[in-house]
Amino acid sequence: MSGLDKFSEKVTRRVARATSRRSLLTLIGGALTGAAVIPVLPVSRAQAQGHGHGGGGDPIAPQPTGNPQDPGDQTQCDYWRYCAIDGFLCSCCGGTASSCPPGTEMSPITWIGTCHNPADNRAYIISYNDCCGKSSCGRCLCNRNERDRPMVRPQANNDINWCLGTESAIYNCSTAVILGVALDQQ
Amino acid sequence: MKWLAASALIVATGTAVVTPAWSGNEAIPGVENAARARQNWILSCQGCHRADATGTPQTTPTMAGFVARFLEVPGGREYLVQVPGVATAALSDADLAEVVNWSLVRFDAANLPADFKPYTPVEVGRLRLKPLRAEAMTIRAGMIARMAQDDNGNRNRGGFR
Repeated sequence: MSGLDKFSEKVTRRVARATSRRSLLTLIGGALTGAAVIPVLPVSRAQAQGHGHGGGGDPIAPQPTGNPQDPGDQTQCDYWRYCAIDGFLCSCCGGTASSCPPGTEMSPITWIGTCHNPADNRAYIISYNDCCGKSSCGRCLCNRNERDRPMVRPQANNDINWCLGTESAIYNCSTAVILGVALDQQ
Repeated sequence: MKWLAASALIVATGTAVVTPAWSGNEAIPGVENAARARQNWILSCQGCHRADATGTPQTTPTMAGFVARFLEVPGGREYLVQVPGVATAALSDADLAEVVNWSLVRFDAANLPADFKPYTPVEVGRLRLKPLRAEAMTIRAGMIARMAQDDNGNRNRGGFR
């Protein structure tokens, strides 16, 4: 035990002779500051964001309608009105499920289908109006394609750029506007 | 072209005053179920023609206040079914006949000839077997020229409406 004591004393005295107390404070202070700076580095931020183009970007707060007749989160691809959508959800791009983000124009030419509303088990007629005039939003890509038809039936194909009849043909994002309740199947 | 637009306007306004426009309640000949016809219009036509059938000049000519005029000229009745969007619509012959009869009254009751006979499913089924393709534009232009000619003749005789 005394050997260990002597060894510690020798080492401590050598360190004390060779260094000043100020340099020790500098060292500790530097380490503390350095550690605090690491999470602020840009490398760290890029990693935390994750996902690339079309994957998301910053997390988007849920946008429930608050209406029990219109269940679900309008920023999620599984929201019932998006049953045949193909594009970026306007809800994630500064607009809503039925309105365009500021600075874009809603296309009057659309493709129209029906979606089943789980709240009342009825089919609703949905118009997928594209928002046009700004480059692709890039958030919340959603591609569901229920009853989507090939290009030879352009009126029922959602791979087409439906930015027609607008000032600009540049696609930004897609909405899902309710036009009405579909008739019950005969 | 200006005179054509002007005369079309006179026809539209003139007849709107004389003939009461379709009010939306009375039965339409050849339309068994108006709600179904409207739904088929929304699902199969409205996307391009727009809800009020005004269309887009570059791609989809206007139907509102004009479409029934095709019935005045030779070949017009056939054209309205053989035009690609109608002939190839994903609807049965019966539903297609219904939606065509419905849209003529809904969007252009004023120009509908008094002796108009509604399309039947059989007639539509026969006509849509020979759909027009790229030539549709030329045929349409020819019929529009014929309408203009007729308008001109009527005006010269002083018997125009």
